[in-house]
Amino acid sequence: MERLILSAALGCAMAIMSSAPATVLAAPASNVAWTGEMRQLVASGDSARGQQLAAGCASCHGAQGVSEIPDYPHLAGQLAAYTYKQLRDYQDNTRAPSMMGALVATLSDQDMADLAAWYASLPLPPPTGAIGEAQAQAVTLVLQGDGKRLLPPCASCHGAHGEGALVDVPALAGQSAPYLKATMHAYRTGQRANDIYARMRSMAQMLSDEEISALARYYANLAP
Amino acid sequence: MHIDPLERRWIILTLVLMLAITGVLLGYAIAANLHPPSNVETIDSTRLHLTPEFAEDKLGVAKNPDGTLTVTMVAGRYGFYPQHVEVPVATPVTFRIASADVLHGVHVPLTNLSTMIVPGYVSEVTTLFEKTGEYPLLCNEYCGLGHDHMWSRLTVISPQ
Repeated sequence: MERLILSAALGCAMAIMSSAPATVLAAPASNVAWTGEMRQLVASGDSARGQQLAAGCASCHGAQGVSEIPDYPHLAGQLAAYTYKQLRDYQDNTRAPSMMGALVATLSDQDMADLAAWYASLPLPPPTGAIGEAQAQAVTLVLQGDGKRLLPPCASCHGAHGEGALVDVPALAGQSAPYLKATMHAYRTGQRANDIYARMRSMAQMLSDEEISALARYYANLAP
Repeated sequence: MHIDPLERRWIILTLVLMLAITGVLLGYAIAANLHPPSNVETIDSTRLHLTPEFAEDKLGVAKNPDGTLTVTMVAGRYGFYPQHVEVPVATPVTFRIASADVLHGVHVPLTNLSTMIVPGYVSEVTTLFEKTGEYPLLCNEYCGLGHDHMWSRLTVISPQ
């Protein structure tokens, strides 16, 4: 049934696309593009300066990038490119408006690169909470995906140990389960749409609630 | 410098062969107006989503004034976007595909649609589907761990 709805939606989208005259472009999913200059900027991040700037982030994201509030993500050990992109997307309003938009409004490009470098220098958060019966279901999706649903294995992009991958595929190991779950639901409804070419949105739409829960708990409990 | 007479004969023979083959190829290419099969057109693959042609909302099927169709697609690890394309049967369709990351390929079994998708270039290929049905679009250049999961759907429909 979900597949039917999805193909109907895709059909409609294509009908609209093919009939629409060539007018103004819709806003892109993100203004971040991994050109040589942008990669150099992220690589030039100064983690010592980032640590000073991060003092303001500690009340929600933890002094060492491990949040004590389940709804807020851990930032420790995250790929610098991913953290930088999210900060830029919040600033550009391409990542769904939240209190983050106002908090990052005054950061410069270099500030964001420094913050990203500081969080990337910390170890990934420790695994939390056993996952129990859902383990098998999650492992199948993570390592094999589901060919019938055009669903590649999570590990093919996020890494076999949830460690993330170049350029900006986020690390998931040890991430807060409620945050992961909320993120997947936000991708599914399109509330979060800063994934270029809807790569994550299209996958989240194919997952059931139960699968999303299992995956969130699997990654929260994964040791990097 | 001393060169053994036998060696000298081999060198001359090889040089003559090389010149002859180059001459045949060049002559044939000029006479028959042959070109390399690929469309040489460069693009910055890192910022595809910010270009007018490959912006997210511009992908898919578009009708040209002469009745032919253009399908604009992006190949990226691990999928072709949009993930489902529907085109009519017996109509010339031009595919314009660019890679957002690494080397990909696209192959549609039972048709002659097959091309490499090299990052930094736009691959263009025109074809015509003779039979209706559901076809997979497969990646046929190893592109990473999810390569064998990189495919999407092409539906060829009959015009109503």
